[in-house]
Amino acid sequence: MERYDVLVIGGGVVGSAIARELSRYQLKIGVLEKNPDVCLEMSGRNSAVLHGGFAYEVGTNKAALCVEGCLEFDDVASQLDFPFKRTGKVLVGNTKEEMESLKDTLRIGEINGAVGLEIIDEKRLKELVPTVEGTFALFSPMSGILDPFQYTIGLAENAVKNGVRYHLKREVIGIQRLDEGLYQLETSKETFLTKWVINAAGLGAVKISEMLGISGYKMGATRGHYIVLDKTVGPLLPMPVYPVPSTLYMGIHVTPTVEGNVTVGPDADRVTSLEDYGVEQRNMDYLVEDASTLWPNIHRKDFIRNYAGIQPTWLDREGPLKDFIIEAREDVPNTVNLIGIESPGLTAALPVARRAVKLLVDREKPEINPNFDPARKRMKPFAEATPEEQAALIKENADYGEIICRCESVTKAEVLNAIHNPLGVETMIGMKYRTRSMMGRCQGGYCQMRIAQLLQEEKGLEVTQVLYAREESELFTGRVR
Amino acid sequence: MNEIQKQVVIVGGGPAGLAAAVALYDLGIKDLLIVEREKNLGGILRQCIHDGFGLTRFNESLSGPEYAKRFIDEVKNRNIPVITETTVLEITKDHVVRAASRHGLHTWRADAIVLSMGCRERTRGALQIPGERPAGVYTAGVAQSYINLYNTMVGKAVVILGSGDIGLIMARRLTLEGAKVLGVFEILPYPSGLERNVEQCLNDFGIPLYLSHTVTKIHGGHRIQGVTVSRVDYNRKPIPGSDTYYPCDTLVLSVGLIPENELSKMAGVELDIRTSGPVVDASYQTSTPGIFAAGNVLHVHDLVDYVSLEAERLAKGVMDYLVHSYVDDSNVKVIAGKGITYVLPQHIGKKHAPLLSMRVKCPGENVQIVVQQGEEVLVSVEFDEALPAEMIQIPLELDKIQNNNPLEVFVR
Amino acid sequence: MMKRMTCILCPNGCKLKVEVSDKEILSLVGAKCPKGQKFAHQEINNPHRNIATSVLVNGGELPLVSVRLTAPIPKNRIFDMMEEIKKTQCDAPVKSGQILIKNALDLGVDVVCTKEVEQEAR
Repeated sequence: MERYDVLVIGGGVVGSAIARELSRYQLKIGVLEKNPDVCLEMSGRNSAVLHGGFAYEVGTNKAALCVEGCLEFDDVASQLDFPFKRTGKVLVGNTKEEMESLKDTLRIGEINGAVGLEIIDEKRLKELVPTVEGTFALFSPMSGILDPFQYTIGLAENAVKNGVRYHLKREVIGIQRLDEGLYQLETSKETFLTKWVINAAGLGAVKISEMLGISGYKMGATRGHYIVLDKTVGPLLPMPVYPVPSTLYMGIHVTPTVEGNVTVGPDADRVTSLEDYGVEQRNMDYLVEDASTLWPNIHRKDFIRNYAGIQPTWLDREGPLKDFIIEAREDVPNTVNLIGIESPGLTAALPVARRAVKLLVDREKPEINPNFDPARKRMKPFAEATPEEQAALIKENADYGEIICRCESVTKAEVLNAIHNPLGVETMIGMKYRTRSMMGRCQGGYCQMRIAQLLQEEKGLEVTQVLYAREESELFTGRVR
Repeated sequence: MNEIQKQVVIVGGGPAGLAAAVALYDLGIKDLLIVEREKNLGGILRQCIHDGFGLTRFNESLSGPEYAKRFIDEVKNRNIPVITETTVLEITKDHVVRAASRHGLHTWRADAIVLSMGCRERTRGALQIPGERPAGVYTAGVAQSYINLYNTMVGKAVVILGSGDIGLIMARRLTLEGAKVLGVFEILPYPSGLERNVEQCLNDFGIPLYLSHTVTKIHGGHRIQGVTVSRVDYNRKPIPGSDTYYPCDTLVLSVGLIPENELSKMAGVELDIRTSGPVVDASYQTSTPGIFAAGNVLHVHDLVDYVSLEAERLAKGVMDYLVHSYVDDSNVKVIAGKGITYVLPQHIGKKHAPLLSMRVKCPGENVQIVVQQGEEVLVSVEFDEALPAEMIQIPLELDKIQNNNPLEVFVR
Repeated sequence: MMKRMTCILCPNGCKLKVEVSDKEILSLVGAKCPKGQKFAHQEINNPHRNIATSVLVNGGELPLVSVRLTAPIPKNRIFDMMEEIKKTQCDAPVKSGQILIKNALDLGVDVVCTKEVEQEAR
């Protein structure tokens, strides 16, 4: 049975950030991830926005950690080498009530430490976003957009580089505290032993919390839906545009992605299932109708795809949770329990991780890992290179000259590199998140066959073993001959 | 970067590119280059292993690969330069073509460029079919590629959305390979593909065709478990309460082809929203002088025989451009009128007699198609039957055109 | 009784209306050429179809070679023919027109390659 010093349950952006932070110390660290990849739940299903920190109540962890995460993000993105643009963001309004609301938001933001907030008039708004419909706005220059897949994967790969072991497709189904002061974690496959348990299970956090013996938390869920628009409309939206939040109805945002697409959404539906990521017709209709009043450039011909994310709504014994909970309970020793980590979880991931790890380090006092290297370098995408650079890349590695995904200009070199990723992910969607292939307008119509072929060849997979995304999502039933 | 000068660069070695190359060579233009991204020439024909190709051109019923071979042999016999496994990345307004292959980046500057990149398929994402996004949803061309080229079987219990030819062909292909096709659902009140395909691909195997139906939800989070199908009204809107659930493990989508013009746009080529292909004159020259287009990249064809003819006509246009710098400047517009989805060429000059290619909006019997300029009827043709699935071509003699007023093509 | 059928011999796809009695054609309307009559007769008595499918290639650049029959066979033998073809394999290189099964199922048709498959590069 594998024995660890620390096991982190959940390999999403927070779990992986924690694992990486832990690897600054000489500890045997493992991550147990339920899915075949690290960004299949909240970490891979969000607005991909870096938040400025004005939307959270004064004095909360959310506010403080969001601002901390926001301000340091240039360094993070550079260190882990993933796409990030500090575009700024506008919250657009038209009425007197909305102006009052924005003034409050600005005040709260300033108290929280958000930088550069200002209320701007229509002229300035139109300078920033010529295509938006609105009279005034709150401008947050520190907000931005990022690639949440590359961020999560970057954290995980850097953690692996620094000695963390990832166990994918391992859902924790039972936790027992043994007499020797160890925890025994039973998964769908093997059983693990560990001294410390860190619960970063996101959608599964309440379940894991119960297993640890920390009860009293409850979870509901809301599902948000998004429509993805073709890159041709990307230039029309230089930064995220949000309507002023209203308590009466759900205003829909439009957000450029760091690769040049636009997402419309999310809305929010109460759901009971934590697994059903379906998008209904009425959701799509509402997204288009509502967002079009703010940004009238949403046309059917530009729809590429849609997706959904499930965010938890948390309750404790007193009612709805107002803040992140990062706790190390004395009555459940050697645990760090993270509950209520939702938006701005992406922005705050590193600050949250540092807080969580500090709880362990203060108690455990481990040695520093002198070999810790915080940097992770991505393979240079062919699509981001100049013609001179492209010629050089091909000369060095002929696989760079074979275009596999023509919509996004992704080459065989990048696909092979993704297939041989440090986490051992072998799914088609895993390749998609790592290379951008299959994300273009043809949605894999040209490249998916080639990628499936390479996966089989490189990883020795049988044709029936090629998974799309999650377990039991086999793409093929066998050979024709 | 090193630029190599070429007379003509042909982007795409499928049926249009191949026919254009042979025709250009025979007209005396030898400094050609066909740029093909696959290892082999032939384009989409490589995976269309069924027959029905070449009926008018060769009077034989050939499979796709055999039809392609006829032209590939002609290209080989003439020693026309071909570069394969090379993907064009960019085409500029001033005729620079940049491509990548394992040997490096290639840059050519061409006197004329032929666009023959073909088309892509409309996706589930573009259709926005509600529901989850599991494994097991394939566009028909992708399913065809897996089965015919990659020896990979995609599923066992299949629902097909769309009765276009590709969907019908795949219904048969899947059945022959042991899958059960539960039904073909078509949103229109008539089949989108050719009648003989409905006969050979569905009726032969007892596969039901449900007209005026569409898939309104996909079920299953990991691998598809089933679809909800609804009847639609004459506005193609689902009728509440008409839902039926079909358990299945595969959904094949045959819901439209879109000419692949990303490179054309880079070259400043103006597109027609009706065809999603370039606006062209009678010799298939686009709005960027010296850049021509034929085949599926120009408009989606149903018979490859017509693609070859179109490319051969294009070759004459390229000749005129190279030798006489010919560009259509008289700009007599051709407009799709009542009952016509699109017509091309979209404008006609004084030099080349056009072959008007069009499709009707709805099926009809005893259909009269009229080409009119102002009050003057230039041509009128009667069809026993006119179907949207079958492209109609009407030649027009130049001397029939009276003046510079627009021509209207419509169904009377 | 009246049978409707679509002739599949050429792209015209003529819609035929055939008056049939006891497998005998009483009248036929809709054929644009004389082949229509022959087609209708065969369709009623003994419909024939061609098949396009694939055969496994050993050592080839591609795993499969596309094949078809040299002439249509009775429709009710299609799946028998598929079984016969599935049993066959061939070795690269194969040429377009190469016969893989001669006189398959004794039906007087050959199974012939419709594509070239080169040997896989070593």
